[in-house]
Amino acid sequence: MGLLQNIIFGVITGSYIAIAAIGFNLIYGIVNMINFAYGEYLTLGAFIGLFAATALPIPLPVAVLVAMAGGGLVSIVLARAFFTPINQTGPVPLLLTSIGLGIALRNAIRLVAGREARYYDTETTTFRFDAVPDLSVGSVDLLGGFFVTSKQLIVVASAVAVFVAIYGLLTRTDVGIAMRAMGDDESLARVRGIDTQLIRDSVWVLAGILAGLSGVLLAIQTNVSATTGFSQILQILSAAILGGAGSPYGAIVGAYLIGIVLALSTAFLPSGMSGLSSAIAFGILILVLLVKPSGIAGAEVREA
Amino acid sequence: MSLLDRVPTGNGDLALLAGVCCVLIGGLFALTPLRAQLPSALYVFVEVGILFVIYGLLVLGLDLQYGHTGLVNFGHVAFFAVGAYGTAMLSAQDTFAGIGLGYPWPLALGVGVAAAALVGLAVSATSIRLRGDFLAIVTLAAAEILHSVFVNFEGIFGGNVGILGVPRPIAALAGDADTRLIATLLVIGGITLVSLAGVTRLTSAPYGRVLRAIRADELVTRSVGKSTVTYKTQAFVYGAALAGLAGGLFALYNGAVAPGFFTIQVTVTVWIGMLLGGAANHRAVLAGLAIIMGLRLISRFALDVTPVPSDVFASIRLIVVGLILVTVIRYRPAGIWGDAQELGVDR
Repeated sequence: MGLLQNIIFGVITGSYIAIAAIGFNLIYGIVNMINFAYGEYLTLGAFIGLFAATALPIPLPVAVLVAMAGGGLVSIVLARAFFTPINQTGPVPLLLTSIGLGIALRNAIRLVAGREARYYDTETTTFRFDAVPDLSVGSVDLLGGFFVTSKQLIVVASAVAVFVAIYGLLTRTDVGIAMRAMGDDESLARVRGIDTQLIRDSVWVLAGILAGLSGVLLAIQTNVSATTGFSQILQILSAAILGGAGSPYGAIVGAYLIGIVLALSTAFLPSGMSGLSSAIAFGILILVLLVKPSGIAGAEVREA
Repeated sequence: MSLLDRVPTGNGDLALLAGVCCVLIGGLFALTPLRAQLPSALYVFVEVGILFVIYGLLVLGLDLQYGHTGLVNFGHVAFFAVGAYGTAMLSAQDTFAGIGLGYPWPLALGVGVAAAALVGLAVSATSIRLRGDFLAIVTLAAAEILHSVFVNFEGIFGGNVGILGVPRPIAALAGDADTRLIATLLVIGGITLVSLAGVTRLTSAPYGRVLRAIRADELVTRSVGKSTVTYKTQAFVYGAALAGLAGGLFALYNGAVAPGFFTIQVTVTVWIGMLLGGAANHRAVLAGLAIIMGLRLISRFALDVTPVPSDVFASIRLIVVGLILVTVIRYRPAGIWGDAQELGVDR
């Protein structure tokens, strides 16, 4: 396989990470917490979508919408029950609460849904492009034939749609502008008459919707099990913080960087060490935090 | 003056005395033909007890870092793993996979502790200045990196199989299985008690006051001329070394190490134990850990009397553990025995 094919894989991975990382970073920017339970929101969204698509047979596109709505609902209910009451205690108790909630949710899902992985029933068309000439530099083939499947195109298209929608929301609507104001300075926003609790709630709903979408896309690519989302949380977190804590646009850049690094290191590491690819992603995260702790676009996180 | 009057009254000294006694009695079981008989119903208690005293060392180290200094280390298992692997690789003979050098175990244990301290120094040198939640992320990521390095470098660390053939000094000396378990529990428990005495001495000294001052307000502490970064680094390295000691003892008790023993679950267990008991209080964190690990016993016994599969019970136990963490942070942020005013969580 050529470099081109691997970069395509990376872009696809980056796409669903990006959707989730935007949600993660919105929560980080406005509620000021690292939500470690966010992976479980993805899992819940994927299961809601699966249930909608199989148990009450409705077409997959509608099931995706149901999953997004379900994700939003789950997110706001959990936030109201667990996070809003301790909002004033600072980032560390919130992080610890989300870790506890994550453990409880993950095992509750496992209890209800069982251990085995489930699959979405989808049809896939594969588009092959074998006519592309090889362009070898040393042992690395820069171009080469490649393929994409219809599922993968749907993932990338959904990601682009989400980017446009988020940009529109944050720049063109009152709620979005209020969100950005709160991310900048919560006290000033309150002085200007913004209902900060309402905005916080809408951020939770939005982040839940994005998690639901990302979860379904992830599940269509692979499968759904109790650990589907948890296996992605560290990548999402790396992408979000790499891009710049609290910045939704930074999250997009970070997600594609992480996705491409994961794909390339899987392809070019010696066989038997391909498991190191996530270690490399975290290595990049640590490096970025050391050199430019604010991420590619973001605020200062150093204390002393 | 009778012997009873000489018994020390301070917490730390009492723990030191009890610890030394435990090690001596344990040594007596191991070295002499003295035998212990264990009712079979108690086996599971002793096994969980051994794991508890090993995790006890972990929680003492973590309490030094988080409870006293306020460093949010969410990769504590990394130092546990480094200590275990360091000890195992230096002392293992005829390991199935990976490196086993076959050196004497006391040397290996020392190197394991030193390696954990060094890794702690490296992590703190790079990231001790980060804000609380970001330090948590960096340490968590460091632990995940280390975990995947252990899994993937099969030639060195033995991959998923890990390092086998680690010497088990206590098991080698003790005569039968019962004596071995009792002696292990006493010796490792004694070491934990001695460590408890050590950290109590450290934190009740003026040094510990500086650490708590850093947790309360770093800027103020710096303004009175304390080099907070130095203190934070030291506390982090001490905690890492204690975790390394726990890892080394675990390797020498278990006779093998594998990545499966060093998952994020260990970090979570220790954290919940610490928060439940009450951070910044050494005996409280041990008690909190005992409650969390006691849940394992309950689920094991419940397993015998109810007809549900074991994985269902494991899930239920973990749901309870997660909800305990959430509940403690919300309703009792200082833990059961913690001092809310001192921890600054008074509301």
